[in-house]
Parts: sequence; C-alpha cells; structure tokens
Amino acid sequence: MRLSDASVVIRPRTPWEAMDLGVLMAREHRLLLMASWAIVSLPLFILLSAVFWKYPSTAVLVFWWLKPAFDRLPLYILSKSLFGETPSVKQAVRQWPRLLKGQLLSSLIWRRLSLSRSFVMPVSQLEGLDGDARQKRLGVLLQRNGGAARWLTLLGMCLEITLWFGAMALFYLLIPQQIELDWDWQRLAQASGSQALWLEHMSNAFYALILVFWEPIYVACGFSLYLNRRTVLEAWDLELVFRRLRDRLGSVAPLLLLVAGLMLAPFFSQSSMAADASPSKPVSTQAASQSIKTLLEKPPFKNPETVTRYRFGEEKTAVKNQARGDGKLPAWLEALLDNFNSSSFKHLARGLEVLLWSLLAGGVALLVWRYRDWLRTFVSRRGPLNLDTDLPVPTQLFGLAVGAETLPDDIASAAAQLWPTQPREALGLLYRGLLSRLLHDFNLPLTNADTEGQVLERIEHLQQPDLLSFSNDLTRHWQNLAYGHRLPPAFAQQQLCRDWRSLFNAGATQ
Amino acid sequence: MQSAPLDTRYQIETPEGIDLPLRPAGLLPRALAFAFDLGVRGLAMGILLVPLALLGNIGIGLGSLLLFLVSWWYMVLFEVLNQGCSPGKQVMGLRVVQDDGTPIGWSASLIRNLLRFVDMLPFGYFFGAVSCLQHPHFKRLGDLAAGTLVIYRQQPAARPKIPQAAPLGLPFTLELNEQRAILGFAERQGELSAERVHELASILAMPLQVPAARAAEQLNGVARGLLGPT
Repeated sequence: MRLSDASVVIRPRTPWEAMDLGVLMAREHRLLLMASWAIVSLPLFILLSAVFWKYPSTAVLVFWWLKPAFDRLPLYILSKSLFGETPSVKQAVRQWPRLLKGQLLSSLIWRRLSLSRSFVMPVSQLEGLDGDARQKRLGVLLQRNGGAARWLTLLGMCLEITLWFGAMALFYLLIPQQIELDWDWQRLAQASGSQALWLEHMSNAFYALILVFWEPIYVACGFSLYLNRRTVLEAWDLELVFRRLRDRLGSVAPLLLLVAGLMLAPFFSQSSMAADASPSKPVSTQAASQSIKTLLEKPPFKNPETVTRYRFGEEKTAVKNQARGDGKLPAWLEALLDNFNSSSFKHLARGLEVLLWSLLAGGVALLVWRYRDWLRTFVSRRGPLNLDTDLPVPTQLFGLAVGAETLPDDIASAAAQLWPTQPREALGLLYRGLLSRLLHDFNLPLTNADTEGQVLERIEHLQQPDLLSFSNDLTRHWQNLAYGHRLPPAFAQQQLCRDWRSLFNAGATQ
Repeated sequence: MQSAPLDTRYQIETPEGIDLPLRPAGLLPRALAFAFDLGVRGLAMGILLVPLALLGNIGIGLGSLLLFLVSWWYMVLFEVLNQGCSPGKQVMGLRVVQDDGTPIGWSASLIRNLLRFVDMLPFGYFFGAVSCLQHPHFKRLGDLAAGTLVIYRQQPAARPKIPQAAPLGLPFTLELNEQRAILGFAERQGELSAERVHELASILAMPLQVPAARAAEQLNGVARGLLGPT
C-alpha cells in the first residue's frame, strides 16, 4: 500500500463526510461496480427464484441474507482502485470465488445482522484478521465512527425499501393506459395461487435491481468510513506530507552525506563495508518489487543495444517469424506466407518490381516533358529559346486590324484618296499598313501589348534609317491625330504617301 | 490514474483570489435532517390540530390553512430567515447556500422546496435519492434547479493542546501544508499510539538531523516554533 498512489484525498474527515466520499468513490466506478454486482448476484437471484418458485418470500429472504457474500466483490474493486489498480469487470468477477474463502460462514451467520457490517468488513477481508486479533482491532476501530456506521446501515435499509417501492411505482406509472389492468390493492392483497406468484417474483426482481444500484454505494460508504477511521488513527495524512517533505529535502541530504562520508572514509571503511553487506532494515514488498524490477532492467538480465541503420524488407520477415514462432498464426495463413516465398512468386515479384520502377521512370519523364518550357526558362543555363517563331502573328494591334487581307493592295493611293474626306481613316490606314508590313515583311515580333514607342524601338533594331524616320514621322502624326485630334498639315500628308511608295512599293517590286 | 484525486470539497474562488472550500453534504445526513424536520412538523401539527379539531368546521378550515403553511413554508421560512438552516439541518450541522457560497434567497429557497415534490416522485424521494447519489456535489433535482448547495457548517474548533517543548526554528523553509502537517502532528499526538508517533517522527529524523528517538520531541519543538508565543 502506497499512500502517495491513493486516488482520493486523504485527510481526516467527519464520519458523514467520510461516507460522502464513499458515495463519490462508488460514483467514480459506478459502471464497473454495478456490472460486477449484477453479474454475480442476478444469476443467483434467478436461481433462487426458480428453486423457491412456490415461496417468493423465502427466495428474497435468502437472497437478502447472502448479501455479505456479494459485498466482498465491490469491496475488492474499491480497495484495488483506491491505489489506481482498477480491475476490469472480467478480472473482478474472476476474483470473486477466491474472495469468498475467508470467514464466509461467520459473516453469513452471526455477523450477518451486525449494524456496522460494512464498516468492519475490510478488517476481515482486507486485513485478513480473525479471532482475537480481529476483536482487538474492532475494539479500536469502533471507538469512534461506530455510530455513523450503524446509521449507515439503518438508513440504507430505509433507502432500499424506499427505492424498492419507488421502482415498483415507477414501473406501474410507465404501464401504458391501453393495457392497464384493473389492479386494485385489495385484489392484489387477496390474490393467491399462481396468479400472485409472478407478481411477487417481479417485485423481488425489483429488489434485486435496486441492490445493483445501492449495495455498491453502501459498501463504498463503509469502506471510506473505515479508511477515514484509519486515517485518523494512524495519521495517514501526516505520513503523506512527511514523506513528501523528506523527499523534497532528500535532494540536499545525499550531498551532506557524501561530504561527511568522504571525510570519514579512511577511518570507517571497514565498518561501512560491513554495513553495506548486511541489509540495514527490512524493506517493504513494494520497495522490494520495485528494486527487483530495476535490477531486471539492468545487465546482465537485459542488454539493450541501439543500432541505427537503413534496412529494406527485413522487418517484415522478422515480424512474420516472430508471429510464427509464437504460434499465433493459423495454418492457412502460414501456408500462404510460404507460398509467397516460392520461385514463381519471386518471378512475379520481380516483374512487378520492374513494372513499378518503369512506371516511376515514365512518370518522371512525363513530368519533365509536361514542364519542359518551365524547366528551360528557369532551370536551363542557355536561357529560353527564341519563342517568336512560335507566336502566332497577331491580327490586331492596339485595336487596329493589321491582317494583310484587311488592307487594300495599294495603301498609298487609297490613303491619298481618303485624305480630303476622311483624314483620320487615311492616316489610320497608313499606320495599319506600316504595322502589317512590319509584322509580315520584317517579321518583327510585335505583340498586342506593345505600345507605339515600343514598336519604334523594335524598328530601331532593324537598322534601316529610312524605315525608321518614316515610322517616326508616321507614328508622331498618328499619335497627334489619334490622341490629340490634330490633323497633320497638308504637305505632311503628301509626304507620307510619297515616302510610303518609295519605301514599300519599291520593295514590293524588287 | 485520473488527473485529480477524489475529494468531497467544493472550491469557490472569490474575486479577491481566495479559495473557499465548501464541504457538500451527502444523502445520509440530509435524509436524517429531513426526517428530523418531518418529525418536528408532525409534532407541531399534532399539537395544534387537537384544539382545532374541537372547533368544528372552522377548526377544519383553520387546520387546512395551517397544513398548507407548514408543508409549503416551513422549510422556506427557516432557510431564508435562519441562515439556511431548518431545525433538522441545524441538528445535523448542515446549511443551504447558493452555488457561489452566498446565503440563500427567497427565490432559490422557494424553487428548491417547490421542486421537492418532483424529488418525491414516484415514491418517497426516489428521484431525489438517485440524483443525490449520482451528482458529484450531492444535489437533488430541486438543488439543481435552484442552484443551491447543502454544505456542512463550519464547526467552531476546540483549542488544540500542543505538547510542551522548547520552540525551535528550522534551517530550511517549510511550505504551508508542511507547516500544517507538523502542527497537526503536535496536536493529534494524543489520539495516536506512541509507536505510531515514533514511526511518523522518524520519517523526518534524517532531514532534521537528529536520531529517530528524538525526532518526535524535535517536531514538537518545531510546532511550538511555528505557533509562536501563545
């Protein structure tokens, strides 16, 4: 028993508060307690009802009389869970036959009617005391809290009866009106024979169900009362704090001891060796099991070794062999695993491997192909290829149609005709014609995003001064007209047409 | 292992950062208190109804009024006007307070006592008992609705006796709970057996740097030192 592991706060309480703690403990493990109690008691109740079918009162009386035998199970669960070792329902129920061994008869015969039954039950069950030792212990324990334990049993009886009737009343209220029977109390009281038997057995069943809820709480209250009595008697709370204080100060104490030991070592080496050899004090079972555990964790019992390296596939075989070694695999699975090792499967595996690797390679190649432009632009050292050839020739620049088919054959004459009436269209025609020529004859990579200035810059790269000066003039007049609504002077109109003819018609005839 | 160990305490933190530990009372003392109240009421009704029964129809009328008053207002009046204590609670050392520890008011008391009749369904406090046993702070349905709590009253503590010893200081500091434990050790020595006192004290023999036989004496001295001049 280690107090520091306790799952409840240990301090001296008043008896009533101690029982409240019991209610909380029962609440904490409610499902476990109720399930184990039901598993143990309900089959016996059914058996008793079957045996005493003719005498329902006898059945319930025997069932009631056997309560101390069932009570040992909740007490076992609570005592285990107090120190954090809560058992499962299965483990607890398995323990029950073993729990019945000690002092069963006395608890069922002359101690059955003791009013402080739940309070003193831990003495015989948990402490294992019997005879005089038990009497002495009870004498000490019952000096106080005995009254509270008796109240607990008396109130428990009242509560059982109340809950019993309450459960039956609830059942009666929940019967639908359609199938309501014409029960009345007189008839029920006078009812006899087999008709009344099942009614009585049903009410007995309610009692058994109520006990599933209440009896673990009763046991828990008695147990917490017992714990509280021992806490007061043995000052468990003080022990807990003192031990913690010692542990807290313990970090300083070894240093002092070490210093003292170093100074005194030459004189006392013999005696200290002797003292080491003999156990200085008897160790508790917990400490012993702890030290055994730590010893078993150390060499030569356990030689842990850490190896870090990369491995392929070996884990699987290791797991498989281990599982097979444990004999946990069914035969068909083992056969299947053996088949996997045969040569045909090896070929298949090899083929699959090749397939998968080639899939991977294909996938990589596909990716490279898909992003080739991106790679060329951002990864390759040569820089991007000249993509102009790939670009489709735009059919429109700044909203002007520049396709060769949209323009008349002789642009200069068409413009000259338009000048007097529609000077804007005439100049536009010339500018469109220039752009179209630049695109188609000079293969300038003009795009829709280029401005007039950028077009001029590109023309500059062509190193043709005639073309450049013409373009400059034309662009300037075009911009003046398009954005500034200023018509070019008349001589400029003639000049532009003339220049056009000299530039392009001469080229066209060549 | 669950995070916090089970305890019956109910902590309230005030805006000033002070922890008020309340101790909610469970089903058993409350049932006893209720039984006591029931007895008191029955007795009072019996005494008052006997002369009223002699008055004929007027007596029956007055008796009905009295019955109404006693059954519906007995608890409310006592709880509100007597600091949350009906006579039964007074006897059992209980008290009703609001969830935040403040005294109970009219509305809360009325709600919790009106809903008593829900707790009584379907027979003899069936729902109330089940709720009381299942709730972490032992509330019945009326308490849940009204936001009230039945707690143990703080009982005036008797002046503890500490064994005579020369006051001592310690070379290391003690935390609050450790100081309390050492004081508790000195106060409760009378209840403990001599062997147990020796055993407890010897836990601290090494930190105190005294032989185990003298540790109890030393601890009493420390307790005296903590207590200061009295």
